[in-house]
Amino acid sequence: MSRGYDDIVAAVPVTVPYVRRSEHGADWFLARALAALVAQSGLRKLVIDGLCASSFTLGPDTAVALTQHVGLSPRYLEWLPMGGACGVVALRRAARAVQAGDADVVACIAGDTANDGSFRDLLAGFSSFSRAAVYPYGAGGANASFALITDAYMHRYGATRQDFGRLCVAQRDNARRNPLALLRGALTLEQYLAARPIAEPLHLFDCVMPCAGADGFLVMQRGRAEALGLRHVRLLGAIERHHAFPDDPVQLRGGWAMDREALWAQAGLAPGDMDVVQTYDDYPVIALMQLEDLGFCAKGEAVAFARAHDFTVDGDLPMNTGGGQLSMGQAGAAGGYLGLVEALRQLTGTAEGRQVAGARHALVSGFGMINYDRGLCSAACVLGQ
Amino acid sequence: MKAAAAAGLFAVQRCRVCGHVQYPPRACCAACLADDPAWEAAAVRPGTVLARTVLHHSHEEMFRARLPLALALVRLAEGPVVLCFAPDRPAIGNAVQVRAALDATGHAVLEAR
Repeated sequence: MSRGYDDIVAAVPVTVPYVRRSEHGADWFLARALAALVAQSGLRKLVIDGLCASSFTLGPDTAVALTQHVGLSPRYLEWLPMGGACGVVALRRAARAVQAGDADVVACIAGDTANDGSFRDLLAGFSSFSRAAVYPYGAGGANASFALITDAYMHRYGATRQDFGRLCVAQRDNARRNPLALLRGALTLEQYLAARPIAEPLHLFDCVMPCAGADGFLVMQRGRAEALGLRHVRLLGAIERHHAFPDDPVQLRGGWAMDREALWAQAGLAPGDMDVVQTYDDYPVIALMQLEDLGFCAKGEAVAFARAHDFTVDGDLPMNTGGGQLSMGQAGAAGGYLGLVEALRQLTGTAEGRQVAGARHALVSGFGMINYDRGLCSAACVLGQ
Repeated sequence: MKAAAAAGLFAVQRCRVCGHVQYPPRACCAACLADDPAWEAAAVRPGTVLARTVLHHSHEEMFRARLPLALALVRLAEGPVVLCFAPDRPAIGNAVQVRAALDATGHAVLEAR
């Protein structure tokens, strides 16, 4: 078994408020996230000697160029182009760097801009496989890819639009208590079901809304966080897996299913110990799939599980307590940070207006990069007070 | 693949060493890493529908006039999974025949019937 993380903690969850469109570049959003980390930690900027960064729209730049933009001289630098898995992976890598002494304080940030051309350009050039074998088929983007996965899942396991709708409605309830959520209007199951089709079987409220924004957090030794007076959360276990189950003809499970036993063993906890769950949710099918693959229920039983549980903040299994991406918006790579930042808020008692009472343990999972027909990156972590 | 599609043929790669058949095209065999996979063209390739969608939204102007557009994910009998146009809207599990042609921009595209 992979060694534990000792006393490595994450602290100072920050969000650069999401907006539907922006004239700022990704560099601006990433800089604002870093500035918020410095301001809210009380650290001098140059004490930050490690940086993990992710962005889809920073190009041609990477984390390397970013060091010069923001005036950092890190001795540990990661560029994590893993989309929805980048937050958990950033935490995992940063924790090891701090544990090994390769960095003292790592800033983890992800952010993107959004304007009329940026999203189309991103999709058109997303990957070489996508360019050759996906985009020319109607240019449906992630909506089309997740529509196919959703269709296969519904056919195999008997999930219905109502099942996905209940998840979306519960998350919207959570979003209504979160001032950072872009979509805060009431959503009923009837409205969900009556929405226009986008890529059948997906309709409007199944599809994440692209936006601009950034998120971030710091990783350091517990002693340092205590000395700084920062509320912090321990990393108890973490996994990542890329291109899992290549022989599955269609994606009905993700890499979590390969590694969940290692995750729970490393954390010394079980799914039933989680007070808060943050699944990656750009489309509802993938949120349900994570519940199965991470061991909250058996394969194919997420629908029954979702019917038996209440995912709202006041429910018996609070999930995506800030509203998830489906109601907060997807600020590009920051979508891979959103669940992690929300979990840090919940476990540090700073989730104003939507605090889950007594939350001590959280599961966060990420999923990213539909390179061709399936998402290739999966990651998950267990956090504890 | 494009040259084959221009002639009405659907070309996939077959490894010269281990025989692995793959799509989309790659620089090596994904099974054994052998260099220079061979191209194998056929007029039609049989497959089975794994999943379907009907697009009502496109990010490209050129497709908007053609909406709604039916697509299918098809597993070829030889193994690879292909995304293709599926104007007949087959059901999951249906047997289909996949052909290749060039689209209006000169790109090789697949269609299942």
